[in-house]
Amino acid sequence: MQPTLFNLAVLGYVCATGLALAHLVQRQEFVYRLAALATLGGWIFHTLSLVVLAVQQGRPPLGSLPEAVSMAAWVVVLLEMWVERQYGVKVLGAFVLPIVLVLTLRSATRPLGLVAIEPTLGSAWIWVHIALASIGIAAFVLNFAGAIMYLLQERQLKAKRPGAFYYRLPALATLDRLTYRTLALGFPFLTIGIILGALWAGAAWGSVFTFDPLAAFSFVAWAIYAATLAGRAAAGWHGRRAAYFALIGFAALVLTLGAGLFLPGKHGS
Amino acid sequence: MALFVSGLNHRTAPVAIREQLAVEEDKLREMLGDLQNTGVVGEAVIISTCNRVEVYGVADVPGEARAVAFRHLCRYRGIEVASVEPLLYTAMDGDAVRHAFRVAASLDSMMIGEPQILGQVKDAFALAQSCETVGPTLHTLFTQAFAVAKKVRTETEIGRHAVSVSFAAVELAKKIFAGLTGKSVLLVGAGKMGELAAKHLVEQGAFPIYVTNRTWARAQEMARALAGTAVPFADLATALAAVDIVITSTGATAPVITRQTVHDVMHGRRGRPLFFIDIAVPRDVQASVNTLPDVYCYDIDDLKQVVDANIRERVREAQRAEALVEREAVRFISRLGDVEVIPTIVSLRERIETIRTGEVRKALARLPGASAETQAAMDALSTAIVNKILHTPITKLRESSRAGTGRSWTEMVHELFGLGRKT
Repeated sequence: MQPTLFNLAVLGYVCATGLALAHLVQRQEFVYRLAALATLGGWIFHTLSLVVLAVQQGRPPLGSLPEAVSMAAWVVVLLEMWVERQYGVKVLGAFVLPIVLVLTLRSATRPLGLVAIEPTLGSAWIWVHIALASIGIAAFVLNFAGAIMYLLQERQLKAKRPGAFYYRLPALATLDRLTYRTLALGFPFLTIGIILGALWAGAAWGSVFTFDPLAAFSFVAWAIYAATLAGRAAAGWHGRRAAYFALIGFAALVLTLGAGLFLPGKHGS
Repeated sequence: MALFVSGLNHRTAPVAIREQLAVEEDKLREMLGDLQNTGVVGEAVIISTCNRVEVYGVADVPGEARAVAFRHLCRYRGIEVASVEPLLYTAMDGDAVRHAFRVAASLDSMMIGEPQILGQVKDAFALAQSCETVGPTLHTLFTQAFAVAKKVRTETEIGRHAVSVSFAAVELAKKIFAGLTGKSVLLVGAGKMGELAAKHLVEQGAFPIYVTNRTWARAQEMARALAGTAVPFADLATALAAVDIVITSTGATAPVITRQTVHDVMHGRRGRPLFFIDIAVPRDVQASVNTLPDVYCYDIDDLKQVVDANIRERVREAQRAEALVEREAVRFISRLGDVEVIPTIVSLRERIETIRTGEVRKALARLPGASAETQAAMDALSTAIVNKILHTPITKLRESSRAGTGRSWTEMVHELFGLGRKT
């Protein structure tokens, strides 16, 4: 039942992505409404699948990295729906949903909940670590989408040749605010998530600095985001520079997850 | 009776003719009365704007109605009817519906998507209503045309993007700053177009407004006109550091604002974007300021380029609007067809039902001892026969209306069954 629900969720996201991209090109109101509906539908199935997984396994649906990634995707969609409404950015889905697809497709090809959890993972802190990191990652997905949109719109305005994106994307100020806020939201979650992970690693494996590819990359990503946040808050970074840093930070985050999923290490695959 | 539209517009007639034929309200009332009194039309609405003069009507002989209307107009303006006649177009029934929808939706306008035409059509309709020349056909046609126009406006972006330089500048400002509320504006120089752009920004909530000019008195005068503050020309750099949008339109022969000035100013702004709208020719702002981070500089040619892109965007949106109008027109025409045959179907049924009940009554009168069952059986039998016989003609009538041949079919049915006048 859980795999079926999850596949329905992915199906919803596939439809939503297609429709959102169609809306980006066609800008038809009813296509947008269908996309929003498909997103919501997919998210509801996703929610149900997470609940069922939790009930079946008798633990939070965060027992493995693919599960954590699925949870992150769930938060991304939730945030996406909220931001779209809050900021009136109707094209947001076209930038965020493809990433959601990438995040969920991995889990769709291999059913969740089959990974046996290591006995050493038996502390409650592990769940908090994974949950916080997932929320952080979700915020940074939106941060990335906001930065991409900012750079596209800025290019159009500098080039003085209004093209498709000039008409479709919101104002620079709106996009800059979006990237700042998602950074400010994601950073504390990522920070506490990493600290808890390190502390827990110290308790479980005897050392805070056990080498693990995911942990190593996550420090790099964290450092980039920390620098960006400091630059924004203290040095008045903004706009293009802040957007470039958002791209670099996200690249580090992708490497982090990639390392966790594909390289041997404590986070398993 | 056929629905028709007949007239001329900016495509078929030169402005010299159009300006003569565009007439005021009183004259329109007179013309509507005239058309009604001569009995050539059942219903009529006349649209008269500087870009089109059109008569919408329901008439037995539309050609005659068109001749009466335009003869009247030409006589009034002292033009030869013969010179207007070749400029006129006429559309009937379905094509007339299509035409009405396209006009109201601003797809037939000189500037596609301009918003005034819908108001003008509404006024024309209201005027005809007050002259009591609007009947059921034109009433449904125009109310539907208004609904379609509204739908086009909300579902496409046909009227969304600015087609004038000053509004294009406002739109660009919105794409940089999001809202313009509380964004400060500096107006450098006293050009008319600069003032117009500043006014548009103020309408969008921009505040406060600063004005500077080499001539102090001129700056003060302009500041009063825009409810702004005059700033000495020597303090230009200080003012640049404070504002969000700068409009320049001086008569200076060399740039008033250099890249170096802006570069220095940007340091203290902590990344607040600065938007230059340079309307002056020769230009007042060095074009290279656009390469500085967070600085956007549009000169008059850039703005025209944006306007051109906006117009292309409108044309693209117009294609979507055309498809929407076509869908709505087809739907409306088929409904109109049904409306046309329904009275005939109703009177046909009534006529046959009268015959049936009459005959059943007569038969029962001849059978005084008939049981309730017999009576019911006779009733059922006659009803069944009537329904079987009527089924084909009624289906045919409905089909004919959808095929657009409803009128000849209804006439035939009226003749065959002696239904009397159909309306």
